[in-house]
Parts: sequence; structure tokens; C-alpha cells
Amino acid sequence: MSGGSDGVLTGLATWTENLSEQAYAYLLLVPAFLVLLLFAFWPLASAIRMSFFADVLTGGQLGEFSGITNYVQLLTNTNALAPAAFVDPSFQTPVLEQALFMTILFAVLSVTGETLLGFLYAMLMKAEYKGRRLVRLLIILPWAIPIVIQGMIFFLLFRPGYGLLTEPLQQLGIFSNLPLNTTFDSFVIVTVADIWKTSAFMALLILAGLESVNQDLYEVADVMGASRWQRFRYITFPLVFPVLMVAMLFRTMGALRVYGIIESTTVGCSTVPSMTCLVTQFMFGSATLYGSAAAVSVLIAIVVGLFIMVYLGFIRRSNQSLGLA
Amino acid sequence: MSIDARNHDDAETFDGSGDGTGDEENKSRIARWADDWIQNPEKAYAVMLVFLGGVLLTTSLFPLYWLFNVSMAPPGQTDIPLLPTTIDLSVFIQVFQQVPFARFMFNSLFYAFTVTVFVLLVGSLAGYAFGRLEFRGKTPLLFSLLVLSFFPPATLFIPLFRAFNQQVPMLGLFTLPVEIYGTPGAVVTPLSAFTMPLAIFILTTFYGQIPDGLEDAARVEGTTRLGALFRVIMPLSAPGVATAGILTFITVYTEFFFSFLMTGNSAAEWAPVVDGVIAFQTQYTVRYDLQAAASLIAIVPVAILVVVAQDKIISGLTQGALKE
Repeated sequence: MSGGSDGVLTGLATWTENLSEQAYAYLLLVPAFLVLLLFAFWPLASAIRMSFFADVLTGGQLGEFSGITNYVQLLTNTNALAPAAFVDPSFQTPVLEQALFMTILFAVLSVTGETLLGFLYAMLMKAEYKGRRLVRLLIILPWAIPIVIQGMIFFLLFRPGYGLLTEPLQQLGIFSNLPLNTTFDSFVIVTVADIWKTSAFMALLILAGLESVNQDLYEVADVMGASRWQRFRYITFPLVFPVLMVAMLFRTMGALRVYGIIESTTVGCSTVPSMTCLVTQFMFGSATLYGSAAAVSVLIAIVVGLFIMVYLGFIRRSNQSLGLA
Repeated sequence: MSIDARNHDDAETFDGSGDGTGDEENKSRIARWADDWIQNPEKAYAVMLVFLGGVLLTTSLFPLYWLFNVSMAPPGQTDIPLLPTTIDLSVFIQVFQQVPFARFMFNSLFYAFTVTVFVLLVGSLAGYAFGRLEFRGKTPLLFSLLVLSFFPPATLFIPLFRAFNQQVPMLGLFTLPVEIYGTPGAVVTPLSAFTMPLAIFILTTFYGQIPDGLEDAARVEGTTRLGALFRVIMPLSAPGVATAGILTFITVYTEFFFSFLMTGNSAAEWAPVVDGVIAFQTQYTVRYDLQAAASLIAIVPVAILVVVAQDKIISGLTQGALKE
């Protein structure tokens, strides 16, 4: 013990050694939750508060306290300044309803695609062969492409007239001649673009799960004469399940908040209006409608929350059926 | 389904174009393969995997190839052919000449590195508590991390923007002593908070899977509580830690919303790398070739990180580590 700081550290170590398990747990959580409180929970609470104040068109200010007016206007489609979406040509469907439908469809399709592709990729990354390092790198790379560039890639592929894929797909009768302005085509493009990019995220997490399976278990299974399917069903799958659920949970939440790829492919929020599109349009549109933007965010959070509840219920049930805690 | 090609030498599936000189030989070769596969179904699986892998990699790599293709097209051309007409690598130098692209890259690398180190450290403490300790309020606290991800990040922008500009007090309690808008702090702090939940969930899952016996053994040998986390739990969960690290790093490196709105527009004002890429887009012209080249350059640091970090994504629990 030469310096004073050594003494302090030892003192601190001794102090933590003597804490109860519960107190030690809380101590470990303090740094993370302090950061979250300041830079996530507090701004979140202020945004929720904002949703109860009236919009002011200019100057980025909040109006008078208006209770649930913003919510009522949004839900009854009576907000005159709400952004228009052109999905339904008759303009009869409320924009919120269109956004809800689009977003949930997008989330279901993209997360399903990403999970399946991610699993295949993960197995490709797990198997041992020459050149595996390169394959792993190539699989992960698409995820490292900024969304703006990803948008450019797909824009140039589907550009009307010139895009490499515009004409062939049009001749096959799949796409129209303006794929980036047609809701169905754009929706497909955005979904494919998302699956292309984000499968790597899934693959990486599933791979980490596969690599954490204790190899001894496979030896035991071999000794007991387990079939390939049994090995997968009773060893690989249950052990990968928790991390697969984390991956799917976060991907679903991400997909339900889809926005960047819609803007960057130049598809635009009027062609494929996602729920987050509405927030950005209210917040940074021609008028700065902070109150309504915040109210949309809260509605989105409620939808995502309901979705996640279903998920968690499913996880709990499957955990029981898999015999896990 | 778990493909286990370890014990088999599948070299022949990779260099199929061997020395086949005649039909006879080819036939017997195919017959030999068929026999071999019937006797060792594992080999057939491996071949299927190679085929499937080839298809997947092609579709996954096509947009990257396309990006290279775009970078080779002459300025202003938007009709990009399937094969580049000329190969002129000077665009990759022009990227650095026209804008201070290296500085843009440095800014984003700085954000990504700082956030990743911080999140792994702080997230590990929390992940250890959630994954290995019992305490009251565990489930609600874990759930609160999820609730954050219910909201679109844009929602949090206005309050943070105002607080960072010293317009409103943080938590409604104290005004920040200095204006941090336009400094790296205005990017690093919110991005740390947003990437934290996923990192904590990953680390919780992996730390929770390490058997108690291993930690107890280290504790008996005199390791402190914190020491056990950093010397036993973290190394054994290397795949999880590396994955959380890679995911956090890439998320921050390519982030655009906060890093764009919380900083100035020029590289010297801490603008992120994506700002550098779209700097080739002016009101009148878009230099797709330079944008594509810049994006390919911007991927290089991530590629290096992935190559280095992926060696950690191998089984941490090797033979003998687990003798319960």
C-alpha cells in the first residue's frame, strides 16, 4: 500500500465485498440507469408532457395546455394539418390507420425474412471451413452501410427508366414503370432493402448464441445416439432460444419504428407512410407541430408496447414448454 | 440442422474444376461422390450448405458490387450498367480532395469508439446484476429498458436539444453548466443511452448462462466480486461481449439522426461520416460516383473491426471449462 488511491480502492473493494446481494445489484445498476435517466427517460417524460399541449405552427414553441385534444384529433382524423398519404386514392382512410397497417405489415414481413435468413447466415458463419473469416465479414458488411447509402443503392436500381432492375421487373409484370412512386412496389423495395441490410444483425446475434452452446453437450448427444434433428431440437434450439428472442424483440421494435429507409430510397412518406413518418412530418414538416408529433409518438409506443406484450407472453409460454426457467 | 463440418475434409467441393479429362472419369467421379454422400450424409449437408451459401452471398453482395459499379460511372451518369465501362480508381482519391473526408471519418470513429467502450463497461455491470443476481424490482427495471425502445428516437430530440442548448433545465432541476450542443458530448451521451438497452439485454442473456460454479471457484481463490465479473464472466461470454460491441459500434458509426442534428455541418464542427458522404450532393448536382466511393471507404474501418472482433465470436465454453 504505497499511494492513497490504493487505499481508497481497497477500501471500496472491501466495502462492496460486504454488501448484500441485493445492495450490490443496485450498486451495479446505478451507472447505467443514471445515463438512461438523464438522456432517455427524462426526455421521454418531457415528450409525453408535450403531447398534452397545443401545436404552435411556427417558432418551435408549445401552445397552451390542451389536455387530450391532440389525441382526439389524431384518432378521429380531424387534425387539418396532418400529413396526407396517397395510399388510398379516395382519401377516405385516416392517415393513422394507413400508417398502422403499413407498419405492422412491414414489421411482420421483414422480421420473418430477417430471422430465417439470419439463421441460415449464422449457420454459414458457424460451420468450419477454409475462408470462413471472409464469409463472416461479407455477411456482416451490408449492415455497416449507412442507411443513406443503402437508399442510394436501391434508388439507382429502381430509378424510373434508367434503373437496372426497373425494366426487367416491369416486363415481368411485377412492378410498374415508376416503382418508387407506387405503393405496392415501393413497399416491396423497402422491405427487401431492410431484409438485405438487417439480416446481418440477426445472423450475428444468433451466431453468438450458437457459439455459446457448450460443445460437450453435443458429445453427450452423440454418445447417446441422438439424431441430427434431436440435437437441434433438444440442444441447439433451447440454448439459442434466449438470444434469438432478444434479437427478434429488438428487431421487431426497430421495424415498427421504420423511417430512414423510406426517406433515403426517395420512396417518401406519402407513398409508404410508416408510423414514424408521421412523427417526423409533424415535427420537421412545413409547420413544427410538436404537440401532435409527441402525441403520435405516444400512440406508436402504445402499439409497439402491445406487440411486445404478445411477444413476451409467447416467450414465457415457449420457455415453459421447453422446460426452461 | 446444426451443420458440423469440422471432422470432414470437404476440400473437393471448393475446387470442383479439378483435373477431369474425360467423360469416363467425370462419371466415375460423380459416382464416387454419390457413394460417398450416401455413406456420409454429413458431406451432402456440407455441399448443400456451400451451394446455399453461394446463393445467399451473391444476393447479399450484389448491392455492394453495385456500389462499386456506381463509383466507376462517370460523373452525372445515373444510367448504371451491369459492368463498369472503365475502371478508374482515382475517385477514391478525389473523395479526400473534395471534402475533408478523413476528418468526417475520424468524428464518427470517435463517437463509435467512445460509446462502445462506455456501453460495454456500464452495460456489463448492469448485465451482471440482471443476469446473475437476485433483487427486488428486477423484472420492472428490465422492462423499463424495453419501454425506451417503444418510442421513435425522434421523440427524444426536442427535449434533449433544448437542454443541450441550456434553454431548459435537465430533469427540470439543473441547467447544464456549459452548452454541449455542437460538441461530441451532445452525440455521445444520447447515443450511449439509446444503444444501452440492447447491449444490456445481450450481456444479461450471456452472463446469465455462465454456470455459478466457475464464478464460485474464482471467488474461493480470492478474486473480488468485481474481479470475478471482469476476469471470469466477461472472458467466458466473449461471443456475447464481442457481438454487443460490434452491434453498438456499427449502430453509432452509421447513425445519422442525432449525430447530424446535434452538430454543425462541417467536418471541423464534429459532423458524422454520413454528412461527409452526402457532402457530394449539392443543390444542383449529385455526384453519385463520389458518394459511392466515399461509402466504400467509410466501410473499411468497420470491416477491420469485424475481422478483429470475430475471432472472439468462437465458443467461449471450451472443453473442460464446464465440469459441474
